[in-house]
Amino acid sequence: MPTTTASAVCTTVGNNILLRLTSGERDVKLKALRELKNQIIGNRTKKLSFLKLGAVPAVAGILSDAVSAVDVADNDENDRIVKDIIVQSAAVLGSFACGFEAGVRAVLDAGADILIQRGCLVEEMPLLKSYMEVVDAGARSLKMIYQSKMAPKYDFLQEENMEFLLSLLNNESENVSGLGASIISHSCKTSLEQKLLFDAGVLKRLTSLLGGSLIQRDASLESIATIFKNNPEVVSQFVGPDTGRTLSCIIEIVKDRFARTRLLASLCLIVIRNASPCYLQDVGIKTKLINNLLELLDDPGRVGDEASFAFSSLIAEKEDMQKLAFEVNGVDKLYNHLQKGSLHPRRFEGILLALADMCSKLECCRSRCLSLQVLKLVVDALAHDSSDVRSAACMCLRSVSRSIKFIQNLSAGSFMNETIVIPLVRLLDDTSTAVQVAALGAISNIVVDFTTRRSTFIRLGGVKLLVQLSKSMDSTIRLNALRALRNLIFLAEDKCKEEIFMELTASLLASLICDPEPSVQEQALALVRNLVDGRINSVEYIFAEDGIILDAVGRQLRIASKAEIEIQGMYVLGNVATGKESHKEAVMDQLLLRAENKAQSCIIKFLQSNDSRLRTAAVWAVLNLTCSSSPGSSGRLVKLHDAGIVSHVKNMVNDPCLDVKLRVKTALEQFNSFDDSLASTSCLQFLTVRAVGELSHVVDPSSKEEESIANYFRFSMKKNKKKKSTRTVKFCFDVPADSL
Amino acid sequence: MSLFWIVIRQLAEIEAMAMSKKVITREEWEKKLNDVKIRKEDMNKLVMNFLVTEGYVDAAEKFRMESGTEPDIDLATITDRMAVKKAVQCGNVEDAIEKVNDLNPEILDTNPQLFFHLQQQRLIELIRNGKVEEALEFAQEELAPRGEENQSFLEELERTVALLAFEDVSNCPVGDLLDISQRLKTASEVNAAILTSQSHEKDPKLPSLLKMLLWAQNQLDEKAAYPRINDLATATLEDPAI
Repeated sequence: MPTTTASAVCTTVGNNILLRLTSGERDVKLKALRELKNQIIGNRTKKLSFLKLGAVPAVAGILSDAVSAVDVADNDENDRIVKDIIVQSAAVLGSFACGFEAGVRAVLDAGADILIQRGCLVEEMPLLKSYMEVVDAGARSLKMIYQSKMAPKYDFLQEENMEFLLSLLNNESENVSGLGASIISHSCKTSLEQKLLFDAGVLKRLTSLLGGSLIQRDASLESIATIFKNNPEVVSQFVGPDTGRTLSCIIEIVKDRFARTRLLASLCLIVIRNASPCYLQDVGIKTKLINNLLELLDDPGRVGDEASFAFSSLIAEKEDMQKLAFEVNGVDKLYNHLQKGSLHPRRFEGILLALADMCSKLECCRSRCLSLQVLKLVVDALAHDSSDVRSAACMCLRSVSRSIKFIQNLSAGSFMNETIVIPLVRLLDDTSTAVQVAALGAISNIVVDFTTRRSTFIRLGGVKLLVQLSKSMDSTIRLNALRALRNLIFLAEDKCKEEIFMELTASLLASLICDPEPSVQEQALALVRNLVDGRINSVEYIFAEDGIILDAVGRQLRIASKAEIEIQGMYVLGNVATGKESHKEAVMDQLLLRAENKAQSCIIKFLQSNDSRLRTAAVWAVLNLTCSSSPGSSGRLVKLHDAGIVSHVKNMVNDPCLDVKLRVKTALEQFNSFDDSLASTSCLQFLTVRAVGELSHVVDPSSKEEESIANYFRFSMKKNKKKKSTRTVKFCFDVPADSL
Repeated sequence: MSLFWIVIRQLAEIEAMAMSKKVITREEWEKKLNDVKIRKEDMNKLVMNFLVTEGYVDAAEKFRMESGTEPDIDLATITDRMAVKKAVQCGNVEDAIEKVNDLNPEILDTNPQLFFHLQQQRLIELIRNGKVEEALEFAQEELAPRGEENQSFLEELERTVALLAFEDVSNCPVGDLLDISQRLKTASEVNAAILTSQSHEKDPKLPSLLKMLLWAQNQLDEKAAYPRINDLATATLEDPAI
C-alpha cells in the first residue's frame, strides 16, 4: 500500500500552501487561503494533516493582521482584498472547527473565536452593506465553534455579553441570528441563566425567528427548548397572548417537511410539557407528538437515532402517555425497528430505552413484548460492544421482567432461564459501572421466581458476585447489589438462605445496616427482614455473632430520620418477634432501650407518624409481641403498658388508614384477652402472607396488579406448605422490590 | 397553455368522481372539466416555482415581467446556484466545488454524502480523460480515506475504480458511471443541497402534481371508463375503451 507516497505528496502540497501563506503579498496570501479552504472542506484527513503542519495558528495570525488593517471608512481595492482575506481566513478556521474535535481545540487555542468576534462582528460592521460578507463569514465560523462541546462558556451574567447576544439575535442576517441562538443552546445551563434570558425578552425574537429560514427555525427551536428545560418557574411566567401564539406556531412546525425540524419542534414541546402541568395536556397534542416521533423513527439518519430518545422523554414516568403510545401500536413499531438488525449503536440504545419506558408501568406493554419475543433480541444486546447498549438492554429487561407473565414463566420456555441469567451474571463484572448497576437492576427482578432462574443464578456463582459488589466503594453499586440480594432471599428455601448468609456474614450485614448512605441502610434492613422471615430457625440468623445484627437494627431505629429506614427496621423487629420467647424478649430489649436525649421509646414516635406504612409496621410488632398463645406475652404487655406504648395503640382505634385500623383492632382484642383469668388458647390465625409496600416499585401502588401479584405469592406459599400453620401472627416479609 | 388547463382540470375532476364503474363519454367528461374552476394565479405560481427550482433564471425573470408573478426566492441567488450546476454538468467538478464553497462553506462540510459524490465525479472525469496515473493518485489520497469512514462509500469507490480495470470502458458493467446521466445526477444532488441550505424546497411542485394525476387516474380506472390522459406531454384526452 503506497500510502506513504500519498501522504508525502499531500505534505508537499501542504507545505507549499503554508509557505505562500507567509508571503508578504496580499494576493498571494489570499490565493493560498482559498486553496487551503478548498482542500479542507469536507475532508477530515486533510484537516488533520494541515493541523499537524500548524495551519491554524498561521491562519489565525493572518486574520489578526487583516483585522487591524481594516479601515471601515475606506472602500478601495486594497480594502477589498483585506476584506476577502478576513472572509477566507474565517471560513478556513470555521471549517477546521466543523465536527472535528482536534480542530476545535486548535482553533480555541489560537484564540480564534475572540478574533473572529472582534474582527467580524463588532458594532459598526453589520451596518455596512459591504461588510455583510465579512459578518456572515464570521457568524458562520463562530456557529461552528459553538456547536462543539468544547466551546467556551458564554457568560450571560455579564451585561455587555447580554447586549451583544441580543444584537446578534436582532440582526437580519440568518447566520448572525442563528449564531445568537446557537450560543443560547450551547451555553445556557443553569436556571439562573434561563431566567436571565427569559427576562431579557429573547423569547419574542426567537418566536419571530420561527417563521424565518430553515436555519433560523431550527436554531430557534433548540434555543427555546434550552430556555425552558426543567425550569417550571420560567414556564409558569410564560403566560399571556404571546404564549398561545408561540405554542401554536411550534405545534404547526411539528408537521414541517424537514425531519430534523419536526424532531426539534417535538423536543421543544416535550420540554415545555414536562416543565409545566398546564400546557399541552390535551389528548390531541399528546397523540400528535407520539405519532410524530414514532414516524420519525423511520428516518435512516441521525434524526431517526435521536427520535427514540425524544420518545422516551415524552413517555417516561407517565402512565397516560404510555397507554396512548400502546394504543397506537407503539410496542410493535419499536419492535419492528429492533428487528432490522445491524443498528447503529445510538439507535439501538434509544429503541431499547424506549421499550424500557413503555414497559415500566403497564402490564399490557410487557405482555405484548413477551408475545413478540422481544426478549430474544434484548438478550443478544447484553453482549453488544457498546456499554450504552448493554446498559439499555438491562434496563429493558428490568422493565419487561416486572410482568406477571414473566414471573410466572408462562410465556418463556425453560431455555430462557439460562439464556437470560448467564449474560447478566457476566455483566456483573463489566468494566463500566453504569452497566453493572443496570445489570443489578435486572437481576433484582429476574431472581424473583420459584423456578429455575434463581437456582441457575446461584449455581453460576451469582451470590459471591453480589456480595462482592455490596462491598464496593461506589454506593450506587452497593445499593443495587443489596436490592438484588434482598429479592434473591425473598421466600428462599432454608438451604439457599444458609448459603447466602454464609457468604454475606453477620459482620458485613451489620456494617451495611450502619452504612453512611441512608438508601443502603434501607436495603440492608429490607434484606434482613426477608432473611428472618419464614421458619423459626431463620430468626436465629439475626442473633449470629453475639447478635450484632440485631444491635445494629436497634441502633438504626433509634437514630434514623428517614421513614423508609424506620419501616424496614420495624418489620425486622416484627418478624423476629414471631419467634421463640427469647427472640421476643430480645426485641423488647431493643424497643425499650432509649436513645440519648429521648424520653420515650422510638416506637412511640413511629406510632404517631404521619406515614401510615410506618404506623402499620409498628402495630405489627406490638401485635407479635403480645400474641396470646405465647407464655411471656402478659409480662411483655405490662412492660409495654408501662412504657406508654399500649395507650398509644389504644388511641389509634380510629386511625384513617384501614390497614392500621384492622391491626389496632386485633391488638386491642389481644390486650383484652389478657384480662381473662383463663389463658386464652385461641390462636389468631392470620394466614396473610402479606406482600407489603415494596410492590410499589414493581407495579403501581394500590393497583389491581399489586393485588394479583400478592395473591399469586399467597397461593404459592400455601401450596408449598406441608402442614397448616398454627402460628399466630404471620410475618411481614418483603416482596420483590424493584430498582429505583 | 390549454394542455396545462386540461391536466389540472382532469385531476380535479377525478377527485370528485363518484364511486361506481361506469362509462363516461368524452362529451360528459369535457363538460365536467369545464365546470372545474382553477385560478390563474395558482398556475402562474406553479410555473414560476418550476422555473426557479430548475434554475432557469432568464426565463424566470421574463416570466415575472410578463405575468407579474413574484418568485419565492431571490433570483440573484439562482445565478450562483446555476453556475455550480453548470460546472458539474460540464465535468468541471473542481470548479464547482470552489463555487459551492464560496457560496456557503458549510454545505460540503456538513454533507459527507454529497462531498463524496463530487469527489467521485472528479475521479470519473480523470478516468474519462485517460489520466490514469493522476486518477489512481487521486483515488488514493482523496477518496480512500472517505471509504474508510463509511462502508457504503467504500462500495461505490470500488465500483468507480473498477473502471480502470476495463479496456472497453463503455461496455463494462460499471460503464454507466461514464454516462452523462451520472453527471446530471451529481449536478442535481448539488442543486438540491444548495436549495435546502437556502431553505427552499428542493423539488418543484409540478412533478408531484403530475404524479398525483397518474395515481388518481389509476385509482379511477378500477371504477370507471373515462377519457384518460396517457401522454403527459400532450395532455390529450383519449377516448375510453368500451
